[in-house]
This record gives sequence, C-alpha cells and structure tokens, in this order.
Amino acid sequence: MKRRRFFFFFLKSISQRKGRILIASASVTLAVAVVTGMFGVTVGIREKLGTELKAYGANVVISPQRGDYLQYEMVKAVSGIKDVDEASGQVFGRANAGNQVVELIGLDISSIKGRGWRFEGQWPARPHEVLAGTNIRDSLKLAKGQRLELVQGTNRAEYTVSGFFEKGGSEDSAVIMAIPDIWELTGLEGQLSAILVRGRSGRLEEIVSGIKGIIPDAAVKTLRQVALAEESLLAKIQLLMALVTVVVLFASAISVASTMGANVLERREEIGLMKAIGATWAEITLFYKAEAVLIGLSGGMAGFVFGWLSAQAVSKGAFNSFISMPFYISFLSLASGLFIAMASSYFPVRDAMKYNPAVILRGE
Amino acid sequence: MSFVIVRDVIKEYETAHALRGVSLEVEKRQWLNMVGPSGSGKSTLLNIIGGLDSPSSGSVTIDSTGIDRLSEDDMARFRREKIGFIFQQSHLIPYLNAVENVMLAQYFHSMSDEKEAMEALARVGLSHRIYHRPSQLSGGEQQRVCIARALINSPSLLLADEPTGNLDRENTRVMLELLRKLHSEEHFTIILVTHDPFVSKWGQRIITMEDGRIIQDEPVHV
Repeated sequence: MKRRRFFFFFLKSISQRKGRILIASASVTLAVAVVTGMFGVTVGIREKLGTELKAYGANVVISPQRGDYLQYEMVKAVSGIKDVDEASGQVFGRANAGNQVVELIGLDISSIKGRGWRFEGQWPARPHEVLAGTNIRDSLKLAKGQRLELVQGTNRAEYTVSGFFEKGGSEDSAVIMAIPDIWELTGLEGQLSAILVRGRSGRLEEIVSGIKGIIPDAAVKTLRQVALAEESLLAKIQLLMALVTVVVLFASAISVASTMGANVLERREEIGLMKAIGATWAEITLFYKAEAVLIGLSGGMAGFVFGWLSAQAVSKGAFNSFISMPFYISFLSLASGLFIAMASSYFPVRDAMKYNPAVILRGE
Repeated sequence: MSFVIVRDVIKEYETAHALRGVSLEVEKRQWLNMVGPSGSGKSTLLNIIGGLDSPSSGSVTIDSTGIDRLSEDDMARFRREKIGFIFQQSHLIPYLNAVENVMLAQYFHSMSDEKEAMEALARVGLSHRIYHRPSQLSGGEQQRVCIARALINSPSLLLADEPTGNLDRENTRVMLELLRKLHSEEHFTIILVTHDPFVSKWGQRIITMEDGRIIQDEPVHV
C-alpha cells in the first residue's frame, strides 16, 4: 500500500516536469549512445580489422625441428585452438624446369586469395594447374595456359600455368601449386613443411602456448612485425575511442547534473515542506533516486538503440558490412545510463538536503 | 510538567542575535499567541520549537522529549508524530489536489487513507473542493487545506506562523473560528505567531517579543 502510494506521488511529481525529465533523459541517451556506439565499434573493429588484416598473411609460423616435417592432421588441431582464425599447411620443395631449378610452394590456394598480391590470369581450379611467380615467368618465358614440366628426382609431371602472381618477395621466384600436387611430385604424402597460423591480434602469446601444448617439439615463431603493426593500429584506434568516450561522458554528466540541479532548485519549497511534515532524509531522496533511475533506464535504453544504430552506420561506412555486437552491451548500456543519472543527481540532491526548511518556507 | 519547555535559548547568526536567552513554558492544550515587530525573533523561536531550526544554545523539550538532542531523522519522525505546521504561505504541492495534499502528510506519517483525508477536509468546510488543485482554491481555502493537512495525523502541538498573514479580515475570522472549534474538540496545543492584534486576541495567552527577548507574558483579555 505504502509502495503504491509512493508510485502515485512519484508519477504525479514527474508528470508535472515532463520537459525537464526529457532533457535529462536525452542527455543520458547521448552519453549512452556514445558509449555503446564506441564500444560496439571498438569490439566490431577488432573483428573486422582482423578480417582486413588477413591480407597481411599469417602472424604465427610453425615449423618442424631438425629439418623434419609436420603432419597434415596437425592443421586441424591448430585450427581448434582458441583465437585462431585460420591455419593452413605449406609444403616446400624444389624441382627442375628444363635446366633451371625452381622453388615449389604447395599450399591451399584459397588461403592466398584476397591478400593483395598482384595477380593475372586465373586461379588454379583443377589438379595440375599452378601459379608462377613473375620472376619464373620472365626467366622461363612462360605464357598463360602454357604447359610446364617439372622434374623432381625420378618423378616427373606436367602442369598448366593458369596465372601469375607478384608479391614483391622471394615467392616471386617460386611456383605455387595445390598441396596434393606437390605431394605427388615430391613424394611427401601427408607431410607439411610449415603451418601458417592467422591468430587474433593481442592473443598471440596464448596461441603460441596453445600450439606448443599440441606440438611440443615444433618451432613456433610469431611474425613480430605484422603482429606489432596490428597491435599498434588497434591500440591507437581504441585509445582514440576511449578519449572521445570520456570527453562525451563528462560533457553529458555535466548536462545531466545541471538539469538535475535545476530540477532540485525548482523543488526547494517542496523539499522544505516535506521536511516540515516529517519526511526523513531517506524518504525525500527516494523520490529523487527513483527519478534518476527512470532517467537512467529510459536514457540507457534509448542510448543503446541509437548507439547500436550509429555503430552499424560506422561499420557499414568503414567496412561495408554490419557488425555483430555482443549481447552484454545492452546491459552495459543500461548500467551506464543508471550510473550517469545516479552520479549526476548525487550532488544536487545532497545539497538540496542541506536546505534549512525554516529559511525555504519563509520564502527566502 | 509543562508540555513545551524552552530553556535559555539563544540563536546567533553571523551578524545578528535572533534570540537572546529565551525561556518559556506552554501547558498542554493551551493556545499561545506570540506577537512582536518584524525581527523580534518570534518566527525563529517557533521554528526552533518545531525542530525546523536549531538553537545556538539552550534546550527545548516537548512532551518530555529533548528535541535539541535528536538527530535530523529522529526529529523528522518526532515532528510527524507530534507536530503540525501552518505557514503564512500555504506551501501546498501545486500538482496535487486538496485531498492529495492532505494524503501526502499521511503518507509520511504512516499510511495514506483517502477517506480519512476527505473527512479532514470536510471538517474544515471543504468537502466540495477536495479535487481542486491549489491554483483553483482561494487563499482562505488554501489555508483551510493547510489546517486539514496539519491536523490529519492528530498532532499534540500545532505551530502556526502568521497563518492569516495573506488573508483578508473575513477569511481571517473564518479561519480563527475554525481553529478555535478544532482546538476545543481535539485539545491540541497551539503556538501561533502573528503581528495582527485582531488575531492575537483569539488565544488564551499572549507573549510579546522584542529584540530576541520575551518582554511581556499575559493572559488574553477578551
């Protein structure tokens, strides 16, 4: 009954000050929208940048000790390690093309698509189709679709050059082919020279220890330059996001505090009267706390919606795709709204409780 | 033992003395009027008796409770149990109607009861105005709502600070007659501050204050 009466008086009170409540709620909405949007973009950007940064290639390389080989099944095991986005095997070999020795790289062709290599021709789609580096193309005077005979020991096979690539590194002097093709030529069935791992930036140490748990005697190296560049880029973006968030949060908190302050000032007489008719500190502040909760929750919910929309708009503009925001961000938004409203109303309400009712009720 | 006992109360502000050692005893069910010029300290003394202000030194005892020793919250609880206030300005909550304003005092006391609040308004002659907001009531009607609000929790002490200050003579007379009737029926103690000689004649006892001191204490001669 008492609770019902409280809500009765509370609703009567706020219904008279809809404008102020709306302004305070809009300030909280702005703050929460920024927090949600920034947080969503930060989380999403890590995910999206991870995808974009795949063009950099692997950031962890596993190679066998003592000139040995790794087993092909290990690729699947490494793929299952937490924070590993992608793992693929590579087989290295050499073969003769006429009088010239050429380097062979056997890999999963799909793993090099979209990495920004310069490419002409067609991707190998069938067995015995290969890609040739531009240096090999020039030295052997290869043309697209030309047959290329490769000899390795007693093995001999013919391949079709479906296209050419240029990476700007030593790979340009190599021939790239599918793993089964290189196995057939080199006789290394089921074996790999290396496993290239694309892991989540910032989690490379954990990934390395995970790999060592599975393949204890392998050499595991992180490609520091790639990893550091990614980390540095992400750290700078996150720092920028954090700074903007703090500034906007501060500005919004001041706005809410001034609205609440004006609100409390407007109700000095009411506070004085409540004291005079016997309301305790807790009973009076309950009305303000409830108001802050209402402002915080409504601002938090609206802020989440606007923040989510703005994060999607940013992602669409930057990555041409939408981001998936974790479910917990909705709770984070509500909690931020509540925190901003409660913290902003704390000082005005505390000051209001210091009013001398005798002075207020005299109209001074 | 007297119902209200004020002992050597001094109230100092930074630049002035509002009360300079006031002592006073008020018997239960007595109607005491305090008169004096502006700045004589009568409102300050009333506020200190009601616990809305605190003395710089001295003590105030109401119904055997030393209120100057109570914490702020304990004073609030004591006030809602024992004291009703009427001010010069009505101080009604503008967005609540008459009965809701009365119910607000019930809410802080214990449990608000609309029927009881309506009866209280009926006792002050406002049964036809219960759903009107303060802005829809005349000054006299607003003060009658204040009386209903002050008395709804059956206080044993009613403190009134210039309750007729904003009323014309006719409304003043109506209000004082109402107070007299309720006082005779409900037997609470009244301490009323006024500077109006007409009002000061309605009580049983009158004290005159000047420059923070009681300079005269006499029964009302009708």
